[in-house]
Amino acid sequence: MEDQKIKRVYVWEIPVRIYHWLNALVVVTLAVTGYLIGNPLAIQSSAEAYLGYWFGTVRFIHFVAAFIFFFNFLFRIYWGFAGNKYADWKNFIPYTKKYIRECYDVLKLDILHIKVKPFISVGHNALAGLTYFLTFLAFLFQSITGFGMYSAMSDSFFPKLFAWVVPFLGGDFAVRQWHHLMMWFFIIFAVVHVYIVFYHDYVERRGVLSSMAGGWKFIEKDKPT
Amino acid sequence: MARRIVVDPVTRIEGHLRLEVEVKDGKVVDAYSSGTMVRGFEKILKGRDPRDAWAFTERACGVCTTVHALASVRTVEDALKIKVPPNAELIRNLMFCAQYMQDHVVHFYHLHALDWVDIVSALKADPKQTSAIARSISNYPKTSPKYFSDLQKKLTAFVNSGQLGIFANGYWGHKAYKLPPEVNLIGVAHYLEALEWQKEIVKVHTIFGGKNPHPNYLVGGVPCSININEVNAINDERLSYVGSLLDEAQQFIDQVYIPDLLAIAPYYLKWGGIGGGLKNYLAYGDLPTGSYWDTESFKFPRGAILNRDLSKVHEIDGHDVEQVKEFVTHSWYKYSAGDGGGLHPWSGETEFNYTGPKPPYDQLNVDGKYSWMKTPRWKGNAMEVGPLARMLVAYASGHKEVQELVNSTLKKLNVPVTALFSTLGRTAARALETKLIAGWSKEFYKQLLSNIKNGDTRTFNNKKWDPSSWPKEAKGVGMTEAPRGALAHWIVIKDEKIDNYQLVVPSTWNASPRDNEGKRSAYESALLGTPVADPEKPLEILRTIHSFDPCIACAVH
Amino acid sequence: MEESPTIYEQIRTSGYSRRDFLKFCAWVTAFMGIEASGIGNVVRAMETKHRLPVVWFHFQECTCCSESFLRSSHPIVAEIILDKLSLAYTETLQAAAGYQAEEVLYNTMKKYKGEYLMLVEGSVPTDNDGVYCCIAGKTSLDIVKEAAEGAKAIISWGSCASNGCIQAANPNPTGATPIHKIIKNKPIINVPGCPPIGEVMAGVIVYLLTFDRIPELDGMGRPKAFYSRRIHDTCYRRPNYDAGLFVESFDDESARKGYCLYKMGCKGPVTYNACAVTKWNNGVSYPIKSGHPCIGCSEENFWDNGPFYQHLASFPGFGIETTADDIGLAVGAVTVAGIAAHAVRANIKKRKLINADIEESKKEGGE
Ligand code: HEM
Ligand code: HEM
Ligand code: NFV
Ligand code: SF4
Ligand code: SF4
Ligand code: F3S
Ligand SMILES: [Mg+2]
Repeated sequence: MEDQKIKRVYVWEIPVRIYHWLNALVVVTLAVTGYLIGNPLAIQSSAEAYLGYWFGTVRFIHFVAAFIFFFNFLFRIYWGFAGNKYADWKNFIPYTKKYIRECYDVLKLDILHIKVKPFISVGHNALAGLTYFLTFLAFLFQSITGFGMYSAMSDSFFPKLFAWVVPFLGGDFAVRQWHHLMMWFFIIFAVVHVYIVFYHDYVERRGVLSSMAGGWKFIEKDKPT
Repeated sequence: MARRIVVDPVTRIEGHLRLEVEVKDGKVVDAYSSGTMVRGFEKILKGRDPRDAWAFTERACGVCTTVHALASVRTVEDALKIKVPPNAELIRNLMFCAQYMQDHVVHFYHLHALDWVDIVSALKADPKQTSAIARSISNYPKTSPKYFSDLQKKLTAFVNSGQLGIFANGYWGHKAYKLPPEVNLIGVAHYLEALEWQKEIVKVHTIFGGKNPHPNYLVGGVPCSININEVNAINDERLSYVGSLLDEAQQFIDQVYIPDLLAIAPYYLKWGGIGGGLKNYLAYGDLPTGSYWDTESFKFPRGAILNRDLSKVHEIDGHDVEQVKEFVTHSWYKYSAGDGGGLHPWSGETEFNYTGPKPPYDQLNVDGKYSWMKTPRWKGNAMEVGPLARMLVAYASGHKEVQELVNSTLKKLNVPVTALFSTLGRTAARALETKLIAGWSKEFYKQLLSNIKNGDTRTFNNKKWDPSSWPKEAKGVGMTEAPRGALAHWIVIKDEKIDNYQLVVPSTWNASPRDNEGKRSAYESALLGTPVADPEKPLEILRTIHSFDPCIACAVH
Repeated sequence: MEESPTIYEQIRTSGYSRRDFLKFCAWVTAFMGIEASGIGNVVRAMETKHRLPVVWFHFQECTCCSESFLRSSHPIVAEIILDKLSLAYTETLQAAAGYQAEEVLYNTMKKYKGEYLMLVEGSVPTDNDGVYCCIAGKTSLDIVKEAAEGAKAIISWGSCASNGCIQAANPNPTGATPIHKIIKNKPIINVPGCPPIGEVMAGVIVYLLTFDRIPELDGMGRPKAFYSRRIHDTCYRRPNYDAGLFVESFDDESARKGYCLYKMGCKGPVTYNACAVTKWNNGVSYPIKSGHPCIGCSEENFWDNGPFYQHLASFPGFGIETTADDIGLAVGAVTVAGIAAHAVRANIKKRKLINADIEESKKEGGE
């Protein structure tokens, strides 16, 4: 019955979806292992050191996840140029008046619960795009500081590319401190992000939530895509 | 007319000391002592974790390293009412003793000796005769004629090289040098031996505190754990290491330091009547054989002597806000209530206020402010602190061991008790207490072993470690005897942070400028009457000042 | 420098045999980590080099770097360093004082212009035109500039000279500044540590003398030979770290077994120094081995990276134990509360909307 009013739009291609869920998984892994690295559990054991390696394992998982995280991220940057228009890098950078106005409108919706216009972009809304842009910067920062620290523990060429970071930020301690603090950015981002996704799904009624799984959104037919 | 002589830098000390001395008819008639470098520790400590303060204050000085750390942990423990386990007290004592032995020996040979020993004259010594003298004063093994002639060759080559290094422009040949060439050669030999030796005894710090200089301390005890069944803790290997270091140290002190003092002193007995200065002496005491809280158990007793009256020892109380006060009338600071009054350290203020001449300058304005040191007073009195004060307070308190050692030494040198109040007396007191300490350190060591044997291995009390267990506000004072004298830190803790922290340091007592009433402190008093044969060459001034073993980084902080 | 003898001549005239000399060269070679085949170069270098004139300044410092240097323990070295260098100016040890001391300094600076090695212990205060440190009536700021002019190279001893150390800690009351921030046109070697290890100090000097060049430096101007490894990667307690065996309180069971001190605030993971390898005072121990966490004393800013007994720094303006985690948790809690409030409001709005929709569809159905 509503068929004539709604149409399907293929927004998130498979690479974006794989990227997204892989990213979600490794970020959670990195935050959990990172937290443990910063605040190890008190496991009082009479075992000798050579019998255990749990903390080493936690670090190992952190580093493996870190590599996946980093290359997954690089891939997404590539896809910002290769993917469809919803994945395009332009979605993330507020360089037009329209973009900024839309940010403002979304803020009204999200904070004041005032729906200014019935319509918001089909892909990311502008504000979301901006937030993701900040998140990408955070990804970059976390990778740089992470590999900067890692460069002292590795002889491999790749982490060594980041060795300059440590003197640049004034020593390992500062790097670690920033790296640790940034973990909280990710935790808070994830909480807000997930909530907002549910919320927009709820007010927009466009299938935002399921879109990142299936790729499709549902929008009013009279709207341009 | 008196002539103003400026000695800046005063070398062979720690830190930046400037002396301006008025000389008239070959004698010092007035003197001004100035500390010319400041770092602002008391400002930096504000707002920090009181448990970290030891590490900061320890950096006041790397020469008397550890003593500020000790004063600091005691200050915090006093404020928070923490009692450390007996082993921690003993380990602290052992580190204290090691510090004294190293610091005093280095002072005697490397900082003070060149005031009395003429290196160049040693070139003329007869090695055989030198050997004979060396053998007559000690059974130290290195006394053969060959040992001395080899050394003499080295020395000759060094002097002939034309690059005299640290000996360049020394006061060689000055007529105030009185030692025969042979004794000078012994002095040179032991200068080098002591340089080798000093790096050994500090290993006691390395074992218990991980490094030297600047070993680690801990509020509530000591950081090292004892476990005789573990390779990763203080075990019997580590303990035996300490034991043999203490043995070797005692040997060096008995066979080299003390005999050298007794060999050199007779040529300079005149200095038993020069450089006395103040008549008041102050010692906080230290080396508890029980606990720090039980002052009766101290090896070095606590007390003050006024007017050289050895029949009465006055009581000292760091918590009494009327006793110790600091003045800034002549110091480059300002007090919010005006610079005329004194402040007890709990309400102490550290606010820079440089009013001196614009550098480069030739002369300070000594009528105004002229030093970065504050001026501490005890009940309004200027006090001398240091080895001499410690020995006198112990002597006057009826300390048997001290009395015997002092009396027998006076007898050996054939001088009256009054010779103690002098440049020579100070230098002798330092050597004597080193000898005592070498003996005491072995008592502490034995006690530590016996505690462990009896099953007590505790080294730390963690009850008040967590800041949430602290009162909202607390005040403390921690006292110790640093090698250069009475040292105390005062702390005010508020909301788990340092609200105020003040160090009142031995060299501050001794080297400070005049107080609000114009009274001189120890250096300035001691210089009065010191003979100066050649105003171009301040050798005698150095003698008296070096007898205090100045440490100006400490004093100013 | 024509009349100054070579190190070899110096050693020979000091009463050592050629054998002693070769032994010394072998030791230097091994110490520098050079392959045995390189020993010939060392011997040649020592035979032809003159005694290097050296001036050693003390500014804002505690003299513990000098003290540490004196602890350098390989026996022949203690003497050779006296003989091999010509330590013309060093307030701690030199015989002359006052005018005579300054005279030696200026003579050396004049005579050996461009050739002398300048060693600096301590930072330089720059606030208030530098009045916080004066020697012979001159500010350390003026002295350091004047002396650097003719120096061949500079070594910044300790954390004071290489990064400002304690007097540069917040609020840096005197504007204490490390040497490399004042002198820009000379080779400067930073040898940080509070103090640096004596053998490391001696090692840096021997390197300069032997090879007549600046050792390879890392990104922070420190010789790689001693500062290329983290304490943590060379710490003998590392297996305990990897196994997750940590000391939870000083002198607990784990402390008595020598477990890892990470949770007591150990800065080993962020500190580059030779402590765990070279160790202190001729290899006797190092802080961790004696039960205390590393406080990171060779790292820039380490006094403000505290408090010492926690793994991360406190944030300025918060309580002493406020770490990134506490702040993160607080922000997280605020976020969650905000979301909850938002959700409640959104629900009320939506309910109205739904009710309106229902009303509308009812009407529609009614027609
Ligand atoms: C979202 C991404 C990430 C988060 C949330 C995260 C979080 C953390 C946290 C909280 C710590 C503990 C810091 C401390 O308290 O000492 C840590 C340590 C570390 N992280 Fe990450 N991290 C992330 C990404 C990365 C990446 C991309 C790398 C790259 C290699 C990396 C490398 C490291 C390293 C080397 C350490 C120090 C581990 C050690 O020394 O044992 N991290 N991380
Ligand atoms: C239950 C968990 C999650 C759900 C349901 C979810 C859902 C979504 C949805 C629907 C979008 C598209 C939003 C839009 O149209 O504006 C999106 C985008 C995004 N999400 Fe998530 N997300 C989740 C977890 C995470 C986590 C843990 C992260 C990691 C930090 C993350 C990072 C991102 C990023 C970076 C984008 C932008 C995607 C792009 O265009 O590349 N998400 N997410
Ligand atoms: N004055 C002083 Fe110190 C000592 N002894 C400390 O308290 O020298 Ni550096
Ligand atoms: S680096 Fe540390 S040890 Fe060296 S002088 Fe400075 S405060 Fe003292
Ligand atoms: S004690 Fe310190 S340096 Fe050693 S393994 Fe543990 S954290 Fe690393
Ligand atoms: S505190 Fe310093 S002495 Fe070494 S172990 Fe850490 S760098
Ligand atoms: Mg003070």
